[in-house]
Amino acid sequence: MINNIFRKRTLEIIPGLTSWGIIFTLVLLAFIHPVACAVIIIVFDFYWIIRTIYLTTLLLMAHNKLYRERSKDWLGICPENNLYHLIVFPVYNEGLDILRPSLDALKNCNYPKEKLIVTLAFEERNPQAGDHARALESEFGKIFGGYVSTFHPDGLPGEKRTKGANATWAAKKAKEFLNSRGIEDENVIISCFDADTCVDKEYFGCLTYHFIKSPSPHRSSYQPMPVYNNNIWQAPSFARLVEISSSFCQMIESMRLEKFVTFSSHSMSFKTLVGIDYWPVDMVSDDSVIYWKAFLFYKGDYRVVPLYTTVSMDVAYADNFFKTIKMQYKQKRRWAWGVENFPFLMNGFLNDKDIPLIKKIRRGFHLLESHVTWAIWAVILVVIGPLPIIFGGVFFNQMAIGFNLSKITGLLFNFTLFTSIVWIVLSRIILPPRPKDVSWLKNIVMIMEWFLVPFIILILGSTPALDAQTHMAFGKYMEFNPTAKSKKVV
Amino acid sequence: MLNEQRIRGFLFYLSVVAFFAGLPFILSFALGYKFNPRTFKFTQTGLISIKTHPQGARIYLDSKLQDDKTPATIQELLPGDYSIRLELDDYYSWAMQVSVEPRKVVRLEKVILFPVRPNIKQINQGAIIAFYVDKERNRIYYLNKSENAFFVSDMEGEKFELLNNLPQGFNYPLKELKISPDREKMLFFNDRQVGIVYLRPEKSLLYGQAPLILNYPNQRIANIFWHSDSHHLIVVTDKNIAVIEANERINPVNLVNLNKMASGFFYDIDKDMLYFRDLQRGADGLTYENVYKLEITGKNTVLNNIIRPGQNDK
Repeated sequence: MINNIFRKRTLEIIPGLTSWGIIFTLVLLAFIHPVACAVIIIVFDFYWIIRTIYLTTLLLMAHNKLYRERSKDWLGICPENNLYHLIVFPVYNEGLDILRPSLDALKNCNYPKEKLIVTLAFEERNPQAGDHARALESEFGKIFGGYVSTFHPDGLPGEKRTKGANATWAAKKAKEFLNSRGIEDENVIISCFDADTCVDKEYFGCLTYHFIKSPSPHRSSYQPMPVYNNNIWQAPSFARLVEISSSFCQMIESMRLEKFVTFSSHSMSFKTLVGIDYWPVDMVSDDSVIYWKAFLFYKGDYRVVPLYTTVSMDVAYADNFFKTIKMQYKQKRRWAWGVENFPFLMNGFLNDKDIPLIKKIRRGFHLLESHVTWAIWAVILVVIGPLPIIFGGVFFNQMAIGFNLSKITGLLFNFTLFTSIVWIVLSRIILPPRPKDVSWLKNIVMIMEWFLVPFIILILGSTPALDAQTHMAFGKYMEFNPTAKSKKVV
Repeated sequence: MLNEQRIRGFLFYLSVVAFFAGLPFILSFALGYKFNPRTFKFTQTGLISIKTHPQGARIYLDSKLQDDKTPATIQELLPGDYSIRLELDDYYSWAMQVSVEPRKVVRLEKVILFPVRPNIKQINQGAIIAFYVDKERNRIYYLNKSENAFFVSDMEGEKFELLNNLPQGFNYPLKELKISPDREKMLFFNDRQVGIVYLRPEKSLLYGQAPLILNYPNQRIANIFWHSDSHHLIVVTDKNIAVIEANERINPVNLVNLNKMASGFFYDIDKDMLYFRDLQRGADGLTYENVYKLEITGKNTVLNNIIRPGQNDK
């Protein structure tokens, strides 16, 4: 028992310790050996340039694929099947203004509605849950093949107040509903969507097609491309940029299949979900940890299939700039809390004897590297980069490297600016049509706002990830803190 | 998908190769090394960074014209001595001999090129014999000898206007003009006289008198400073340091007797401290030629010997 706790705490400390260790070492080097620090910074700058080129190329490929495939008539090319779709919307305190468009999108999608079973998963502690459930049930209850409202009781033993706990409760209730209708688990694909998720018209056709065509459909999760188009024209520049960048990151990840992990709204085999005992009820990052749970359960034989169709969500923003920054910061910190997957996965690896060691090392390293890079890259580029010049003194500034450091760093930023142009163009393509009540001047604003990128990098680049890793290292665990969404700020 | 993964794999390995192939060159460039493709060796080099004001000067390195104009960096120079000459039309050329050391930068970044024909503009009017520039208020005060009057203008010599007349009985040559901290009075002095005029005539009633002259027939005035209250003057003569109100009916208060013609004054108006050099008697009864600090308005007017005995000659 003590060993288990020691192991768990050790694994929890590793990411934060690694990130802070790198940062402190570089800061220390800037004082005691600025030349060595400058060499490391230049290596990192060069690595970042190469990485940016590589990732931007992947983004272009993913973007191209999305626009080739998103409007395909997937249903038309789907083989006949007896698959059902269970769609679970875990609801925290989102109102009808958020939920109704999500259900409307389901109603309008190009897929037989009798094959869709919708579950609205409310929290019992939300006083408005009953009213909302009744309102939506009367409006949408008869449209789909099945419609279930569930109310997750508060404070069940072993549970934390997480989305995963609510989704698990709802999935269990839905299983009772499905079984009562004689629908087998293996004929059901479950999609767990954030409450504000509006699916593309072809989403279920695309999902069904890929499920059927997958060589191992029950050993795969299915990840659509998340975009934040619901209120993107209304959202302030700062929030819009952050969410566009998030979408692009997911698109890039979709091209790196060996690292691809589920994120936010996604789908998987219901049989698999039941088999791995649903989502963890005590972890915040339910969307990614469910993948790792399945990965461990199937001894590493589990993958994520990218779906080049979109699910659209809301940009999180508030009624003023500072509240928006705070809200975005909290959301990014919650995403960064996905670092809790590292101790979960490592613990699973240590208890497992079947997954090949090389696979364990690769996946473990990828996971750690991605979180550590997230936590340090902006700090190195923005904060540590100038330190040798500032603290290096006369000796360092007389050295060729002292002179060239700022030139190479400047080159990096110019290069980043160039890649930003590619991102600007792609962001314009991904945009939904401009609503009539939005001025055309907004088009100019949406291009000019990219100049905010350095400022955003400074605030939201690394800080939320460092924050999350530090909390985990000190054993101060996060509760699920959902992002308040709104269609329109009033 | 398989095809895309192949392309991605290719791109990945291409990136890895680009990184490891490019890194030695980036690092060697940053550290001041030059790669010689013939010998496949890295040679230590230095560089010269040149910035001039104004920019755009032609650069001659050992008399050879360089492609770049200032600001510029001349990279990959083998260690040794080089002559640099900078030329810009209508400016004096600038030249220097520099020694380039391996892996180091020679920074010539504060070069000012001066114009051959400087831009001179006459900003006063009439026979001006003294002036005082008040940068804070963008004003220049003048004393016109032919009209015996003070004038003021802005920094460009515009808005030239009469301020006040020079009091009768003041003799030339004049040593200096000084404006009071409140910008309402101006003092001027020669060896034996101090004069004060009010820059806003209507204010003269406040003091109950017109421009005044204080005479020092038996002393030679070395310097005069305004006290921070704009009402007292600290007068340094060849015999003493005294404080006097800007009023001819008040007798001066003698603060310090000087044993030598004091020199090298500095008046700290923020603290009302006078620093000066003189011969003064120390606590041991001996006299020392030192720098002294005189606190003008402290509770005790203390003469502080700020260089301790033994540190210099008696």
